[in-house]
Amino acid sequence: MDVEIIERDGNRIRFIVEGVSPAFINSLRRTIMAEVPTMAIDEVVIVENNSVLFDEILAHRLGLIPLTTPEGKYGFSEDCDCQGVGCPKCNVTFTLKKEAGEGIAVVYSGDFESSDPEVVPVSPDIVIIRLVPRQRIEIEVFAKMGTGKDHAKWQPVTVSAYKYCMEFDFDSEKCTLCEDCIEACPKQILKREGDEIVCIDPLACTLCDACAEACDFDAIKINENDTKFIFTVEGLGCIPPESIVRQAAQILIKKSQELEEQMKTMSA
Amino acid sequence: MEIPIRCFTCGNLIADKFEEFAKRVKKGEDPGKILDDLGLKRYCCRTMIITHIEIIGEISRF
Repeated sequence: MDVEIIERDGNRIRFIVEGVSPAFINSLRRTIMAEVPTMAIDEVVIVENNSVLFDEILAHRLGLIPLTTPEGKYGFSEDCDCQGVGCPKCNVTFTLKKEAGEGIAVVYSGDFESSDPEVVPVSPDIVIIRLVPRQRIEIEVFAKMGTGKDHAKWQPVTVSAYKYCMEFDFDSEKCTLCEDCIEACPKQILKREGDEIVCIDPLACTLCDACAEACDFDAIKINENDTKFIFTVEGLGCIPPESIVRQAAQILIKKSQELEEQMKTMSA
Repeated sequence: MEIPIRCFTCGNLIADKFEEFAKRVKKGEDPGKILDDLGLKRYCCRTMIITHIEIIGEISRF
């Protein structure tokens, strides 16, 4: 298996994986979305809320705030010594108190005071609620580790997707150089070089087959390479994207080992 | 009412971007360019921002 990173920008990473099956790459994609744990607000104690949003709506908004998650620092509270009750080892506490003075006050995610400076909202500018005079909220919230299969708020990514690499199959004997295919390509990645049509950027191809359909002489064929994939991961800022992929791979290894052991005990 | 925390379709964070968007649109900038600057590439997230109407100010009076 070969992995080559082709793009790395902020929360986004794109890489090519070669020499694996579609089943493998799909299991990696699903593990990234459903199994990589992050921190998210899970319990809200509302001391006071006389704003226009109901307590439930407010709590739902709070839950969706992505939180930065230091790798390996916190475990699931079910596996903790407190047995899921919630303690400083598995929970992070945030407090927030705000009251509108004379004008309108905007409550931002940056107004939260966290018990752990490593676990904070990924952006301090998230608008939680707007308060008009005489309105105030006072809340205490608890964040804990969880996975995307329990609730989407724990997903570390917005995008975790792959596509097949393209193989451009050109038959120069059938081609009449009419250049219909070049015009048909929505990504404009086909070019004429001498007596040949070439693809200048195979990675940008969406495998739409428009060029092959435009060709009346069957000179072009677009083949999917099902052992080579372009994988895109776009994180939310909770965990760096390369760390998300690494953690997902480790989870997959652990799960395969568990399966192997189970099979051994069954056959024994 | 209030801008949703995340994009309904893809889950991207948008609640921290609406204020800047609204401010810059008022100044007369091109909305499409602002969305590009804010890093909103997909049309799902862009729709969330463009179609949002802030009515919380009106409701707050009651």
